[in-house]
Amino acid sequence: MKTGVYFCRCGTNVSEKVDPKAVEKRVLAQNPDARFAAVDFLCSEEGGLALAADIRESGVERVVIAACSPREHEGTFMQIVSGAGINPYLMRMVNVREQVAWVTADPGRAADKAARLIEAAVRRTGRQSPLAGRRMEVCPDALVVGAGPAGLKAALTLAASGRHVTVVEKSPAIGGLPVKYEEIYPSLECGPCMMEPLLGEVLHGEHSGRISLMTLSEVTGVVGSFGNFRVKIRRRPRYVDTVRCIGCMECSAACPVSVDNEFDYGLGKRKAVYVPFAGALPSVPAIDPAACLRFAGGDCALCREACPVEGTVVFDEAGDEVEVTVGAVVLAVGGGSSDLNAFPELGHGKVPGVFASHEFERLLASNGPTGGEILTADGGRPDSFAIVHCVGSLDARHKEYCSGVCCGYAFKFNRVIAHKIPGARVSHLVREVAMAGKDGQTLYRRAGEDPNTSVIRYRGIDDIRVSGDGSGLSVSYKGPDGSEGSVRAGMVILCPAVTPGPDTAALGGIFDVSLDKEGFIEELHSSTDPVRSRIRGVYAAGACGSPVGIREAMAQGMAAAGCALSEIVSGGFLDISPVTAEVVRERCSGCRVCVSVCPYKAISFNEEDKTAEVNDALCQGCGTCAAACPANAMRARGFTNEELWAEIEGFLS
Amino acid sequence: MSMEEDKGFEPRIIGFLCNWCSYAGADKAGSAQRVYPPNVGVVRVMCSGRVDPELVMQAFAGGADGVLILACHPGDCHYKEGNLRAAQRHTMLVRLLGQMGVREERVRFDYVSAGEGERFAEIVGGMVAELKILGPVRPMTEVAYGGADS
Repeated sequence: MKTGVYFCRCGTNVSEKVDPKAVEKRVLAQNPDARFAAVDFLCSEEGGLALAADIRESGVERVVIAACSPREHEGTFMQIVSGAGINPYLMRMVNVREQVAWVTADPGRAADKAARLIEAAVRRTGRQSPLAGRRMEVCPDALVVGAGPAGLKAALTLAASGRHVTVVEKSPAIGGLPVKYEEIYPSLECGPCMMEPLLGEVLHGEHSGRISLMTLSEVTGVVGSFGNFRVKIRRRPRYVDTVRCIGCMECSAACPVSVDNEFDYGLGKRKAVYVPFAGALPSVPAIDPAACLRFAGGDCALCREACPVEGTVVFDEAGDEVEVTVGAVVLAVGGGSSDLNAFPELGHGKVPGVFASHEFERLLASNGPTGGEILTADGGRPDSFAIVHCVGSLDARHKEYCSGVCCGYAFKFNRVIAHKIPGARVSHLVREVAMAGKDGQTLYRRAGEDPNTSVIRYRGIDDIRVSGDGSGLSVSYKGPDGSEGSVRAGMVILCPAVTPGPDTAALGGIFDVSLDKEGFIEELHSSTDPVRSRIRGVYAAGACGSPVGIREAMAQGMAAAGCALSEIVSGGFLDISPVTAEVVRERCSGCRVCVSVCPYKAISFNEEDKTAEVNDALCQGCGTCAAACPANAMRARGFTNEELWAEIEGFLS
Repeated sequence: MSMEEDKGFEPRIIGFLCNWCSYAGADKAGSAQRVYPPNVGVVRVMCSGRVDPELVMQAFAGGADGVLILACHPGDCHYKEGNLRAAQRHTMLVRLLGQMGVREERVRFDYVSAGEGERFAEIVGGMVAELKILGPVRPMTEVAYGGADS
């Protein structure tokens, strides 16, 4: 087998320290058949052409390039070698610049090291086999789970790029949290107004034809992997035909039932046939079978009778389960908040006038239970407020992290309260204040300038007691130095930590993505790959990955769509690198050590023939399985034991 | 062995470097033109987790005086946790090689990031100096007499 060794002088960068003649002599002494050529700049256009011509003319079968670091030019030389008719995996670079010429003082020893490394590469290439990638068919469509800001932005970005997107949303309405909030941090913009164009685009915009929206639906299972996920989705019946319905709400007006509205956190009431809040989209009511008299065995049909479009209310509509095939999945199911029952001294749910921040948002909303008036349970307008920050955040016993968004909305409350109840006093009890970002400081500065506002630092949440007497509420606390203090308020607002949502763990289990120690979906890399999960083709956007605000959720939705678009390119095919692991089935004893060490869940166990199987679309070629296999049944293509051993032997020869 | 023989001894070391951190760290020493002894033959692997203990044994059998395994720092592994597997295997290797008479100092595991050119050079320099004192591998002898240099 004839090997061509091409030595790049790199101008004088290499040859100044490593004498090509001395190296040539050593190489030819060990490999009399080899071809050795020293070139000035192999990576230049002329260098590349000369290299390709020489490979063709000399008839070499293996190529060793002694030049700079492969991290610099491996791709360049793979292309040149390939163009010259040699499989690029039969080429090896030797790093004689960064790892010899530039770091070795003695020229004699530099030449010796270069010659040894070249010998290692010559022997290694002798053991290398031609490798070829594989083309895999992929489905260009995508699934988005969750129709909040992150999910909808991802869906629209994908649809605008020509992809078909299935959006699965558990609740009857889309838009997530911001559509429930009237004035949004930082500019006090109206949430529904801000979201309206986005929702409009999804429902009836230019690209909506490529978006299949499934409300009242949940993912129940998935098989397959990157490029070809087959996802099962269970759809609950709405009992109202979404095509026929004109959104007049006559049905709801006629319904005799009244139950707590979970979308107002129980602060208001809704009917059994209802939309979660006025203006919710799609503007089609749903019947809640748990509340409806008819589903309890009665024969009430008032809603059907009230409906002006015959055939719209369908009591016998059945749910169904559908399967969709998609190439990529964006998980965007949002977050949750700390359970305030864990803080009994704060009085939530027991002391009237104590609200969680998301409940208070509904009091501020004109489509909320009080029509946007800040009212206590007895109908009074409080003249003073205590806002307790960091409830469960920055606390080793609850959530160690800062939730990031609470200070923003808490100081927003300050402005909104001042608008609605001029002269009201607001006390912020904080552990820390975190208002980062280019517009974060404005609201904080304004609060500081407001004579009715005070910011009080407290030591720990466990020192805080909220108690009520006939004349209002009292919040006692301890300052950072342990000194006791208290404030009086007509209303207390608690800012709970942003936590993983209630569905994240189950959904994570379905898609096999790992969760971090807090229970958020773990990113592939917290800094460089914040929206990829550890499962290829599954991305996480918004608060299911970490506590984020609307802006970050939107950006992550777009980022996840970008990942899906770049990884699942249109055209229906994907090229897979051949540098992946491969099972030598006759050697495999079925011990499954490889399955347990693979960081990408690319190895599965074939129950039929009791051997391991590698999914090369998921394998990243790290070779950990090959090192772990006790039977040498796992071959790390491109880095096989034989190849590495030849390299070691060559250096030591 | 006499001191004169020791002076001329240049240990041969096989260095398994992961592609993403340690190999890049070695390149960094190069671009900084940081001179270090040329005793290490670098074998580039995609991940330190690829380093099969068998390869290390073969390196010693083939005449290496030392083996250096360099990985990404904990938490920085390009492949999530290959460096931790490499660390676990190193612990096992030290015991295994010990039983065969190869001293612990001859198989070194460490972390070098892509930016740590200086650290790479220091590790290589330190290991070469240490192996020069130990001398060539003489299996069994090291165990029986408590070390090559004793």
